[in-house]
Amino acid sequence: MSSNKRSRQTSSRVLKGSPSLHRPPKLKHTISLDVNGKVHSVEVEQRWTLAEVLREELRLTGTKVGCNRAECGVCTVSMDDTPVFSCTMLAVEAEGRRIETIESLSGPQGLHPLQDAFIKFDAVQCGFCTPAILMSLKVLLDFNPSPSKEDVKRAIEGIYCRCGAYPNIIEAALNAASVQRSCAGHGQTRAPTSR
Amino acid sequence: MAKPEPRLLVKGKPPSPLDRELSIIGKEIDRADALEKTTGEAEYTGDIKLPHMLYAKCLRSPYAHARIKRIDPARAEALPGVRAIIHKDNCPGWRTYWYLIPQAAFPEFVSYVGQEVAAVAADDLDTAQKALELIEVEYEPLPFLLDADQAVKPDAIFVHPLDEADPTCRRAPSAPPVGNIYNGAPDIFRRGDLERGFAEADVIVEETYTTSFQYHATLQTRCAIADWNGQVLTVFDSGQGVWNAKLNLSKSLGLPLDQVRVITKNMGGGFGSKAAAQRYAHYAAKLAMLAGCPVRLELTRPEEFISHPHRFSAKKWLKIGAKKDGVLTAVQGKGLVNLGVGSTYGNQGVKLAEHPFALYECPNAYVEVYGVYTNSQLTGYMRSVMRVMSNFFLESHMERLAAALNMDPLTLRLRNYTLWGDQQKKIPYSAKNLDRCMHLVCEAIGWPRRKELTESNRRTHIKRGIGMASYIYDGTGADPYDANADVVIRNDGSVELLAGVVEIGGGQSTILPMIVAEELGVNFDRVRINYGDTEGTKYAPGTHSSRLTAEMGPAVLQAAAEARQKLFTVASLMLDARADDLRSENDMIYVKNDPSRRIPFEQACEALGPGGQVQGSGSRAPNPSNIVLRTFGAQAAEVEIDVETGNVQVLRVASAHELGKALNPKLCVSQHHSGIIMGLGYALLEDPAFDSKTGSLLNPDLHQYRMPTSLETPEIIAYNVEAEDPYFAYSAKAIGEATMVATPAAIRNAIYHAAGIWLNSLPMTRDRVLEALYPR
Repeated sequence: MSSNKRSRQTSSRVLKGSPSLHRPPKLKHTISLDVNGKVHSVEVEQRWTLAEVLREELRLTGTKVGCNRAECGVCTVSMDDTPVFSCTMLAVEAEGRRIETIESLSGPQGLHPLQDAFIKFDAVQCGFCTPAILMSLKVLLDFNPSPSKEDVKRAIEGIYCRCGAYPNIIEAALNAASVQRSCAGHGQTRAPTSR
Repeated sequence: MAKPEPRLLVKGKPPSPLDRELSIIGKEIDRADALEKTTGEAEYTGDIKLPHMLYAKCLRSPYAHARIKRIDPARAEALPGVRAIIHKDNCPGWRTYWYLIPQAAFPEFVSYVGQEVAAVAADDLDTAQKALELIEVEYEPLPFLLDADQAVKPDAIFVHPLDEADPTCRRAPSAPPVGNIYNGAPDIFRRGDLERGFAEADVIVEETYTTSFQYHATLQTRCAIADWNGQVLTVFDSGQGVWNAKLNLSKSLGLPLDQVRVITKNMGGGFGSKAAAQRYAHYAAKLAMLAGCPVRLELTRPEEFISHPHRFSAKKWLKIGAKKDGVLTAVQGKGLVNLGVGSTYGNQGVKLAEHPFALYECPNAYVEVYGVYTNSQLTGYMRSVMRVMSNFFLESHMERLAAALNMDPLTLRLRNYTLWGDQQKKIPYSAKNLDRCMHLVCEAIGWPRRKELTESNRRTHIKRGIGMASYIYDGTGADPYDANADVVIRNDGSVELLAGVVEIGGGQSTILPMIVAEELGVNFDRVRINYGDTEGTKYAPGTHSSRLTAEMGPAVLQAAAEARQKLFTVASLMLDARADDLRSENDMIYVKNDPSRRIPFEQACEALGPGGQVQGSGSRAPNPSNIVLRTFGAQAAEVEIDVETGNVQVLRVASAHELGKALNPKLCVSQHHSGIIMGLGYALLEDPAFDSKTGSLLNPDLHQYRMPTSLETPEIIAYNVEAEDPYFAYSAKAIGEATMVATPAAIRNAIYHAAGIWLNSLPMTRDRVLEALYPR
C-alpha cells in the first residue's frame, strides 16, 4: 500500500494549477503562431505538434485529435489555405504560416454558408469530425467555387466520419457552394484568396 | 363510438390526449446542438481541463493469457511527478462494473493482449508514460485460445474470463461458465416438430456462415476526467449513459448514489461501445480519490482498438426446409458466439436467434446459441449487435433457398410472411408493415431490372447485381423499463425538460424537447433540455439499443402533458373555461370550441406568481406481454463487381424502415445513411486480424482497419415507413441501429446476383471475392 500512502502525502492542490499534457519544455522555443488572424507568442518544445499547441496552449479545442498519427483526419486545419493534419505537423514548422481553425469560420457577418448548410441539411451527428470536414471544405470552396459531387468527395476523403453523415455533408457542401456563388454575385462575401 | 383504451406505456395516470393536429412532431426541425457543433464550441470530455488535473495511463498486458507472478511499482513510485499507482496488490478484491456486471479490476490472470495491469496518475502524460516503463511485472505466460470453435471443446484450456457470475444482474452470467461456455449451456428456442418439418420438405438447404469482429472506432477516443472533492465524485465521462455509469461507479467504489455525479455533454460517437461506464472511467475515479486531484485518463487510438468492447463475432450453421412452392416447413440453426474475455452477452442470445426463429412463418423451428469465452479482447454492444449477424445468416440463406427453388427471392420472402409475433402462442405484433417496406425498396432499386442485368453482365467483366434483405428489430424498450422525465414550466414562460440521457449524435437532445413543445403547444425554441448529467435528473436509460425514443418518449410525453394540464388549471380561471376544454398551440392557450378566447402561453405562466412554477413527471411502464412490439424494415442494394480485381462498389441502397412515427423525418433519414454506411464497412471493408502466435491485434489503427469514407458512400434512398402503434409516443419507435441490420445481406445477395458467387463470411473482402470467383 506504499503508493497510496505516498500519493496522499505528496498530492496537494497547490502543486500544479494549470495542467499540461507535457513536462515543461527543456529546450524552449518561443515561436509566433498566426492563428485565426491573431499572432500568438507561444513557448513550445520542438516535438510538440500543432494540434497540441492549438488545443492545450491556445485552448482552441474545436480542433479534435482522434489518432495523433494522420489516420483519421479530425485534426484538419487550414494552413496557408491548404488543409493539413495538425496532429502530424510540428508547431515549430507552423511558424510564419497562416493557420485557420474552426473557431474562425464564422465571422461578424454570421455563419459561413457551409455552417448554415451543415445545420440545414443535417450534416452533423456526433460532431467530432465536423470542424475538420468544415475546414477542408472551406479550402475547397475558396479555390473551387463550383465543385462537383466528386470534388467534394475527394476533398473530405481523408477525414473519417464514423457516423456516416457523408451523404448530407456532400449535399450541404454543394448547397453552400451555390449559396456562396449567388452571394459573391452580389459582392457579399470575401473573394477567394489566391495561392 | 367508444374511446379506445389508452395504451401509451406510462406508469400511473395516462396523459390527457392532445386532441388536435400535431404541429411540431413530424417537422424537420434543425438539430438543437448543430450550431455549437459547427462552430467548434461543443465541448467534449477531452476538451476539459480542471485545475490541478493529473494525467493517467494504463499499463497493459503484452500476453494474451498469463498469470501475474509479481508486480513491483517501487521504481515508478520514486519518479518525481508520479501521484498515484493502482495495481492488483494495492487494490485487492476491487471490481469494476460494466452494466453492473462485476469484473475484477486487476485480476491475477490477464486474459488478453492489452488488459490493464496497473494505472498511473502523474503531473503530465510524459511522466505517466515513463512511470509505466518503470513498473516491473513478472508474468507466467499461459496458452491461449482466440477461436470460439476451439474454446468450446470440452478439453479446452480455461481462458479466465473477466466477467463474474451474478444471478441478480440480468446482463451478467447467472452461473460461472462450464468450460468456457457462458452459463454452461446454450440458449435454446424451439417450437413444433423439426423432424416432421424436414420430412415434409421438398428442398433442404444447409450452410455455415461466419462474421468477424467489428470495431466501433469512434473518432473520439475514450476519455474520463474524475474529480473527487472529498464528498462528491464527479466524472466527466464519454459514455452513452450517465445514469448507468453512475450506478456502476457507485457500486465499484462503494459510494452512495448521491455522492457520484456523471456528466457527458457531447460525445464523439458511441455506437454501443460506450453503453455504460467502462474500466477506464473506474481507474480514473480510483486514481483521483487516491491522489486527491482530478485525474484525466484518455485512451490512445491503439488502446481504443485493444481495450474497448468490440462486436462479437459469430458462426452459424443453418438448415432450412421448404415445399416446392416456397412455404417453409422447418428451420434449424446452431450458433456459436465469440465473447472474448467478457461481454454484455446476457440478453443477446435471443437476438441472435430471432431472425431464423421469427422473421418468417414456419411451424417447426429450433435454434440453439452458445456463447463462448476466448482470449480475444472484450466484446459487447455495437449497433444492432446480434441482429446484423443473424440477419446476414438468415437472409443469405433465404437467397440460397430461393435459388434452390428457382424462385424470385422477393416472392419467397412474401410467401412466408407472418403477422404473428409469437407463432406458437399466436400473439400478434402491435404493428407490422414489412411487406410495404419490401415493396418500397424493390421498387426504388428497380427490382425488375434484375433480368436485364443478368443478360448484360455476360458481356463485361464489371458486373452489376441487385439484392435485398428484410429484417426484424426491436428498439421498443427493454428491461429494466426505467425511464423518467420531468418538465418544469416557470413563471417567466420558460420550459425545461429534465432528462438524464446522453446525446449520442442521433438527435436525442432535439426530439425529446420536440415532444415537450408539442404537448405544451409552444414553439420549439422555448424548451430547454437539461441532459447528459445525473444532477437534477432521474434515472434514464443509456442511449443505446435504439431505446431512447421508445422508452423516453412516453415518459416525456406524460411529464409534459401533466405540466400542461396544471398550467391549464391556472389559465382556466383567466379564460373562464374548464381546464379540460382548453387547448394550446403556437404559444397560445385557447378554448377549444371558441379559439377567439385565448391568452398567450407566457401570460398564463405569469399567473404562477413570482418564483412560481408547475412541474409534470413521467415514467415509462414495462412492455405488455400480450402483444409483441417490434420494428421492421427492408433494404435493397445495387452493386458493381469487377471480376478481375474482386472490387465491389455499392452504387445504391434503398432503405425502408417501419418506425411507427418519424418525430423528425430529417434526423431519421440521417440514421438511414449512418446505418447503411456502417453496414457497408462491416460487409466489405472492416477486417481485424489477430496474430495466432501472440494473440495480439495486428491492425489497431485506422489505416489498416479500413472504414468507409466519402468515396465508398453510395447513393441512398430512404423511406421512413409510418404506422400507428398506440403503445408509443405518437407511435414513435426506433430507427438508429436498425438501419444497418440488412445492409450486409443485401450487398451479399446483390453480389450473388451480379457474379453468381455465394459469400458466406463477413467481411466480403477482395481476397474472399477472388477466392470465391476462382477457387483453388
